[in-house]
Amino acid sequence: MSEIVVAKAPVAEAPAGRWRVARAVARKEWAELRRDSRLAWLFGLVFLLMLGALAFGAAQHMRLDRERAAAAATDRALWTGQGAKNPHAAAHFGQYAFKPQSPLALADPGVDAYVGEAVWLEAHKQNEAQFRAARDAGVGARLGGLSFAFVLQTIMPLVAVLLGFAGFAGERERGTLRQLMSLGASPIDIFAGKALAALGALAALLVPAFSLAVLATLFLADHDFSVVDQLRRLLAFSFGYGLYLCGFVFLALGVSAFSKSTRTALVTLLAFWLANCFLAPRVMTDVAKHVATLPSALEFRNAIAEDKNKTFGHDETHPSFVAFRDGVLAQYGVTRIEDLPVNFRGLALRKDDENGFVIFDKHFGALQAAFDAQDRLRAAPGFLFPMLAMQAFSTSFAGTDSWHQYDFATAAEAHRRRIQTEASEDLINNARYGDASYVASPQMWARIPSFDYAAPAVSWAFSHVRGDLVALALWVVLTAALAGFAARRLRPL
Amino acid sequence: MTLSAFLAAWRFEWRLLRRDAAAWAVLAAITTMSALAFFNGAERVAAQKAAIEDARRDETQRLDALRKALADLTAGRVKGETPPFRDPRNGVFVGGGSAAAVAALEPAPLAIVASGQSDLFPAALKVTSGTKDSFLFADEIENPAHLASGSIDLSFVLVFVFPLAILALCFDLSAGEREKGTLALTLASAESPTAVLLGKLAARAGLPILAMIAATLVGVLLLRGAEPIASCGFALLVAAIFAYGAFWALLAAVVDSFGKSSAYNALALIAVWAGFTMIAPAAVNTLADALYPAPSRAEMTLAARAATTDADRERDAALARYAEEHPEAKAAETKIGDAEERTIRRLAVLETANARVEEVMARHEAQLARQRALADRLSFLSPALLMYRSVADIAGSGDRRYAEFSARLDEFHRQWRDFFWSRAHAGQSLTQADYAALPRFRAASEASVPAGVISGLAGGVGLPALLLAIFAWRGLRRCKAA
Repeated sequence: MSEIVVAKAPVAEAPAGRWRVARAVARKEWAELRRDSRLAWLFGLVFLLMLGALAFGAAQHMRLDRERAAAAATDRALWTGQGAKNPHAAAHFGQYAFKPQSPLALADPGVDAYVGEAVWLEAHKQNEAQFRAARDAGVGARLGGLSFAFVLQTIMPLVAVLLGFAGFAGERERGTLRQLMSLGASPIDIFAGKALAALGALAALLVPAFSLAVLATLFLADHDFSVVDQLRRLLAFSFGYGLYLCGFVFLALGVSAFSKSTRTALVTLLAFWLANCFLAPRVMTDVAKHVATLPSALEFRNAIAEDKNKTFGHDETHPSFVAFRDGVLAQYGVTRIEDLPVNFRGLALRKDDENGFVIFDKHFGALQAAFDAQDRLRAAPGFLFPMLAMQAFSTSFAGTDSWHQYDFATAAEAHRRRIQTEASEDLINNARYGDASYVASPQMWARIPSFDYAAPAVSWAFSHVRGDLVALALWVVLTAALAGFAARRLRPL
Repeated sequence: MTLSAFLAAWRFEWRLLRRDAAAWAVLAAITTMSALAFFNGAERVAAQKAAIEDARRDETQRLDALRKALADLTAGRVKGETPPFRDPRNGVFVGGGSAAAVAALEPAPLAIVASGQSDLFPAALKVTSGTKDSFLFADEIENPAHLASGSIDLSFVLVFVFPLAILALCFDLSAGEREKGTLALTLASAESPTAVLLGKLAARAGLPILAMIAATLVGVLLLRGAEPIASCGFALLVAAIFAYGAFWALLAAVVDSFGKSSAYNALALIAVWAGFTMIAPAAVNTLADALYPAPSRAEMTLAARAATTDADRERDAALARYAEEHPEAKAAETKIGDAEERTIRRLAVLETANARVEEVMARHEAQLARQRALADRLSFLSPALLMYRSVADIAGSGDRRYAEFSARLDEFHRQWRDFFWSRAHAGQSLTQADYAALPRFRAASEASVPAGVISGLAGGVGLPALLLAIFAWRGLRRCKAA
């Protein structure tokens, strides 16, 4: 008489027992993954791509850093070497502010190629940043370059899909799923084990790559960027990618559990991968463009000019100039400009600049708000197509999104205002009214410092991507729920 | 009869496709994406035209204001001294800003097909007698995240979506039937099994290829009329769609001929698709940039700034020498700040800066030309990259047209400078007749498609397709039913 051993029902298992099952499944999956030579090749190739992307990113960073440092030094020499000059003429000559490149641009270059790298800080005008590198790169470059972020956002989800698509469907086709379940392993335990193995495999690929990114960041961070801040940013960056890829592993296993065959699972997952990585970013870009429109460059400049026309500039017949002059005379209790104890031209220039500051803040602030509205709209379905949230999250912590560009432009504008104000105050305090030959000494140019940009802290970057973090978390919850639901409905045949 | 077997298989497969949900999904994807792409293309072209019209209207208003101010000055209706930068008679300042001429690059007849670089380069520039860097790098306002992501245009649909549509129908050409157990029956239905498989391939690949060509034809016809349809560019576009579609269909046939499972085919083909459309272009761009890095544009601006300080110093030295050599001269003659002095200084600065900036720019252009030449050669590694660049060239939004525009811009800039500076050197004030004779930027007549595009497509897409056809033929001949 043979003894028939009946497996215990899964519900009767203690939590520790469940963990043992999950661990056993993970160990078995891990052993299979290690034995698969195709996977080894794939991992090797992806690692090489990441290595190449990081190496190129670092080389690119060093080159741009050198170029911008040299340009800043030349501009400083030109500024300080102006010789004796009227301060307002020097203000018109101005300075250039060059944007220092964030060290983490080596991991995600973000929008850097599509924004200007330098701002001319001249009198009366807030200029936009000039010289978008993408204009020099040719049309082929619009298909993108090789970057660490590109590999993480596009190639790694594909690796996750490949690791997970056959998870349940493959076992079902081979008939091993029935065996596994007959041993008493609950579908959730099997799912946990398979997810652990796939996440472990992804970690085996990513941990060395991120370690290299840390080393490169330590090497590249300079006085403009705090090393601690950069490492915090990198930590947040890796956390975001962790969520992103975790969701793909859950999705792959969930779809695999739902699908009748590996073929169906693979085709479904590839279709989602394509929609997420290629279609969603472009479709949402078009939607955002249509819903939240931007002014044209001509409209933007004309709107500023219209507001500026309400102030006096150099026009001494302008009604607002006359009002200002009368106000100053009344303030000092004199009737003639010549009797003022300070230089009236300097006062008028300072007043005109102050009027301009309000106008520029209004228009440039509105433009950034419009960019932000578009970006939010674009990232809104990020919980369903996580690429949309991931791009925003990644570029923010890499310091290469439009908010960081705005922060640089705002800092550059603050420096311009300092130059203008100092030039006007020199006139106010030192020049005689009507003396067109007044010049400030060359030492004055050295007293006005060069532009020194301090990049914002990680908390500032985080404040702009809270919604994207929620979207990524939601993506993980949704995919985990899908996988859990699929696992509960799992049929061995 | 091989041909009759081919046609019979084609007809049979065609009937099956009519009942296949995947075929309808492919048709829906091509139609929807193409419609979206044409809608965006039409909006983009309309925006470019509107920008050019606005720039021209602005130019007319500026010139009218200058001519009116000139008439007022001539008639003595203006009291007090007019500063030189507002004086419509002053050629140095007028040519350097207020009369700036609009140089526009009108959208080409097939511009709706590809956005190319048109979202990065403004449709109209304001050319002045200043240094080129002062007007050449003007940008249109655009969200940088949108520029980085790109939008849906027909070139995107052609290069990325169209191959996927073909692969979706062709990846399990024989593998699908083998897995269902019907392949042996199908192959036995004719004397030549290869002809049967080729008939199946022709039907499955023919559907998305014909759909893509039809969508392109209808889109261009509805939005641009019949004229562009009759152009060489459109004929080349259709030929390119056919060759590119054939490349992917034959690639699917080659992979299928290995006799593996349909899941293996799907994986292998998606890997090749990712390699050709994403990884190879990214690697080519990265390599070209690493070997010939684009020069820093800041260098050019700084050259212009250095020229400003040098010209200032030279002018100061000249005035000092004059004062030393002519002690009898009145202080007023060497007085800094009067209108004439400011004009002379401005002219000296512009002439010195222009010479230096042109020298720096020529060096930059040479480096960029080397980078692009390398990218041109390397683009043969990826039919997708080559197709993308070629479609942009056919649409008139690629590198070639912008290079031509840049060359014409150089010529016009010289003409514009000469017009104002020759008068300034002769001490002549601008007159109404001068305003009437201002140089105008003339758009070049639309040239036919450059020969480089045709040879590029033939070598980079046509030739690989031909090679794949040979491999597919040999592979399908060895096809086994089990």
